[in-house]
Order: sequence, then structure tokens, then C-alpha cells
Amino acid sequence: MTPVFAVIDFRRAHPVLVRALLTLLFTCLALFLTYFFDPLTNYNLATGAAMAIVILGLSFLTGASGQVSLGNGAFMGIGAYAAAIWAVHHTTTPLVGTLALATLVGAAVGFLIGLPATRLRGPYLAGMTIAFALAFEPLVSIFSSWTNGDAPIQTPLLTPPGWLASLVHAPTSSLTTTNMWLADISIVVTGVAFFFMANLFRSRTGRAMRLVRENEVAAELAGVSLPRARVVAFMVSAAFAGLGGGLTTLVQGSVQSSTFNLGLSITILSLLVIGGIGTLSGALLGGLIFAYSQNWITWIEGKTGISSTSNLGGNLKGIIFGLALILVMLLAPLGIAGSIRFVILRQFKKHPLTRPSQSSTPQ
Amino acid sequence: MDAFLTSRAVSDLLAGLVSGVVIGLVALSLVLIWRSTHILNFAQGAMAMFAAYVGMTQLSHRLDLGAFTLQLNYWWCLVIAILAGLAIGGVTERVLVRPLYGKPEINPIVVMVGFLATLEALAGAIWGTTTLSVPTPFSFVDWQLHGQPLALSPNDVFRIVATFVVAVLIAVLFRFTNIGLQLRASAVAPEVSRLLGVRVGRMLTLGWILASGVGAVAAVIQATSFSTGLTPSIMEAPFAIAFIAAAVGGLESPTGALVAGIAFGIMQQFVSDYLNSNYVLLIALGVLILVLMIRPQGLFSKRVVRRV
Repeated sequence: MTPVFAVIDFRRAHPVLVRALLTLLFTCLALFLTYFFDPLTNYNLATGAAMAIVILGLSFLTGASGQVSLGNGAFMGIGAYAAAIWAVHHTTTPLVGTLALATLVGAAVGFLIGLPATRLRGPYLAGMTIAFALAFEPLVSIFSSWTNGDAPIQTPLLTPPGWLASLVHAPTSSLTTTNMWLADISIVVTGVAFFFMANLFRSRTGRAMRLVRENEVAAELAGVSLPRARVVAFMVSAAFAGLGGGLTTLVQGSVQSSTFNLGLSITILSLLVIGGIGTLSGALLGGLIFAYSQNWITWIEGKTGISSTSNLGGNLKGIIFGLALILVMLLAPLGIAGSIRFVILRQFKKHPLTRPSQSSTPQ
Repeated sequence: MDAFLTSRAVSDLLAGLVSGVVIGLVALSLVLIWRSTHILNFAQGAMAMFAAYVGMTQLSHRLDLGAFTLQLNYWWCLVIAILAGLAIGGVTERVLVRPLYGKPEINPIVVMVGFLATLEALAGAIWGTTTLSVPTPFSFVDWQLHGQPLALSPNDVFRIVATFVVAVLIAVLFRFTNIGLQLRASAVAPEVSRLLGVRVGRMLTLGWILASGVGAVAAVIQATSFSTGLTPSIMEAPFAIAFIAAAVGGLESPTGALVAGIAFGIMQQFVSDYLNSNYVLLIALGVLILVLMIRPQGLFSKRVVRRV
């Protein structure tokens, strides 16, 4: 029993250090695994990791401040276009710079959209974000001199460095190393984003947000500024969406406005709810589900003999995600991660760990 | 006078009125549900679209009724669509919404968004995503005034009249019937109504049934046009603008929703004509934000004070 308590005590004493070590451990593990995956898996991982960042942003907004946004697909699009336009015109900018720009632009737009959130509540806010999601494609058309209108923008491809090619004993970079490199980049960025969010959830700001969610009046009495908390929640959520969108664009090498429709925003919300609102692991799960959803759909189509070009095949994904959203919310609103945590916590309540105390005599 | 009637501004006004009535109807159906259950139904547009598909795909089918056969024309299909809308509304309230009363605010939002996605995908799976053209019961050719087209056709007049018939029917039901009184009572004071013998649960279901029927009419009217036809996503944009109109008019006020919906339709037409249709939603969003900053309860609603 004693080593367990040593770990718990160490975690309490140095929370940030423990989080950093855990992030480093998981990131390194994931990086190590990409060495063995085939190119397709690595590519799926890269897009899934980027989506996990977006889901995490919405998770903060919903889990911490209790608001729902259906505009995160559009925020993702804002980041995607910011990254694409910058990457096309400034090819020498390092990746970190482009991604930082996408994050900042996302945060700025999130601030603008979040301003009315200080006055709007629940359903009003959700409805407003739906309108924003639908307004994204027209917005891209309005700025068509920058955004190329409906047509896609091709971004410069990310080429793996030479040492990665030599690592897999290939003379030059190939599909294997390229996709491995894409997955590695995504994993590292996701690790940084998750580390930041883990700290934010536990910080003073995160605690204030949760209080706002639980009881607005109590929060106000405790000195939390409601308007500020709401705007900050929106900004953080939009910044993460922007980062995820920028990363997705650079990984895929192109961006098109029709990707960022209302359906994408609904998909993000479904993934969040299925994974578990307000949990880090839930966002990761959501990203993984997103990465493999196309494979699963293909598998189901293969098993049932539904043609992917038929009406049913083309809409199978929408039906499954929509039904999952309804069923999870009605039957297990905590999502996968939240439900598992609930079960574990109940076990701990039944059989609590007893700390060996110095004062009582050992039996 | 004739030159004035065929001028660009009047043409926009008339065309805006024609598209505004659909928005007003959807806004009205949103308000009906909001008043009875305090849920903003994000699937309202999708439910209406589904009902319209159920009705309009029966077109020119034959119905054998033993003694005589019935060739289903536009009007029968409209009736089928309305019946389908009523049924969808009732089933949705009983199955999906009933477990959500008293839950946190975001639960019904999430469930209804899921329902929206499911219905749109289901409609695409059953009837395909290509446009299903719907015949117009009246001519869609604009009337002419001295060789100049007036931006109004018999079909447009039908759309406007149908909307006002529905609106008046709803108003009469709520104002002058016993059921209407019970509906209003259970929305305002459910506990007291229950004590006085009103079946509040049934009234909530009825509210959803009525709203969904109104939505079905709106979707059929929207599809009954030379240019649009029926697609699974047909109600997305009207729903977004209708929500904005309902919020601007005040979610408690049916009249406000209808008026604001028509006003937004006219705004949409003017913006598309003089500026660019890409700006419609952005301007509507701007109006929403501006109005809610000044009057958070909307233009036509009374102020509600939230107490601790």
C-alpha cells in the first residue's frame, strides 16, 4: 500500500511536473509506435490527433462553462484557411509559426463570436453558433481574393527530414516516411495541446469556469466575472479549433470551404459526447474514433454488402453518428470516458484505500 | 403606378415576402415548441423536411379504396405531409424529449442536434440527395403589367395565403378554444394546471404535434417552387434564419416570430439583390447580436426576470 500513497503524495505535491512527465511518456510511446504502423494508419492517426485537439477545445467550453457551440467546425475552418494562406505565401516559415498563427486567428475570431455569448444563454447561443457554422462558406466566398472561393487551396507538402529516412533505411523520403513524419508532427502538437489543457482544467480559471457551469449566482458571489469567463471559454475553444484546423490542413496538403459545413460541427459534437464531455481521455477517444470511422464504415459496408455509392452507403456515417449522439445523451450522458471514471470512483467508494497512519498501532 | 409596381424595389419586396412566409412559419413552429416545453428544437427544420418527403414522394401514386381509386395529386400529398408532420412531432416528444425534462440545458440541445443529423442522413438514404422536383399547383409564371413582369405569380400568392391560413388557424386554436386555453395554461403554470385537472403531459405532446404540423406546411411550401425542389438539406438555411427571426422577435411571441420571419425574408431578398447573397446570414447574425444586446428578451416579448 505504501508505494501507492507515495505516488499519490508526489502527484499532489508536484501536479504540473507529473502532468509534464505523463505527457512526455505518452507522446514518446505514440511516436515509437508510429515506426511500426503502415502509412495508412499513420495518416489516419495524424488527422485523428488533429481532430482530438478540436474536440478538446469544445470539451473545455462545454465541460467547463456548460455552453454548447455548433460553430467549432467553422472555427476549425478559420484556422485551416489562416494556416493555408500563410503557408502558401511564406513557404520558409517554420511549422510552429504557421500553427501559432492559426491558433491566434482562431482565438481572435472566437473572441468576436464570444462577445455576444456574454448576453446569450444556452439555446440562444447554440442557435447563434449554428448560424455562424452555416455562414462560414459564404464568408469564404466573400473573401475569395484571399481564399480562392469554393476552389481548394493547395499547401506545400511537409517533407520529412533526412534522418527519418535513414532511420527506416530508405534512401529518400517515401510515402512511409512522409506519413510517419505527419503522424509524428500531429502527435507532438497534440501532446503540447493536451498538456496545456490539463493544466488549464485544474487552474484557477478552470475552477472558476466549472463554478459558472454549476451555479452562476454562486460564481458571481464568489467574485467570478461571468462575462469574462464566458468569453475566455469561447476563445480557448476557438483557439484549439483553429490549431486543429491548421494542423489538419498542413497534414492533408489542401483546404476547401465545403469541408467546414454544419455536418462537421455536428460530427465534432458527436465525438465529444461519445468520448465524454469535460475529460481529456474522452477527447483522445473522440479523435481515435474519428480517425477510424471511415475504416469502420467501409468494414460495415463490406460485411452487409451495402454499396458505398448507394444512397444508404453515402449517408451511413451521418445516421450512425446522429443515432450515437442521441443514444449516448439519453442513456449515458457521461460518455465512454466519463462512464468508466464513474464506475472506478464508485469502486473506490465501496473499497476505500486506507492510509497507514503513524498514530494508530499496527494490527 | 405600373412602373412603380414592377420597379426593382417593389419586386424585391414581393419576392422577399414570398420567401419570408416560409421563414415566418418555421419561426412560428419554433415558438410553439419553446412556449410549451422551453426547448429550442434544432431538428425542427429536419422534421419538417422529412414530413415533406413522406408526402411529396406519394405524388401520382394510386390508392385503391375498394369502391374507387384515388389518384394522389398535390393536395392529397400536402395532406399526407401534414399528417406525417403531426405524427413525427408526437412521436418525437414522447420518445426523445420526454426523458429530457428537468435535465441540464445542454442535453436537449445535443439530442435534437443528433436528431437533425439522423433525419437528414436518413432522408438522404431513403430518397437520395439529388433534388426531387415538386410540381406547383398553380402557375409559377409571373403576372405581366404592360410587358413588365410583376415579381408575383399565382403560385406565390398560394404560398402567402397558405401561410396566413395556418397562422390564423393556430391563433384561433390558441385564443378561442378550450384546448387552446389548456395549452396556454400548461405552458404558463404547469403545476397549477395539473391541479385544476389539465393533462399537462398531453398538452406538451400536443404542442409538439401542432408545431411539427406547421413546420411540415412550411417545408412543403418551401419545396413548392420552380427553383428549389426538395433536398435533405432544404430546411437548413431557412431554419437558421427562422431561429434568428424567432430570437429577434422574442421566443415567447408567435406574432413576433411571424412578423420577424417575414421581415428577415424581405431583408434576405434586398441583400441578395443589392449586395450579394453571401452576406445574408452574416447580416442576420449581426442583427441578432445587436437586438439581443439591447433587448435580450427579443422585440416582442415581455421581460422575464430570472430569480435565484
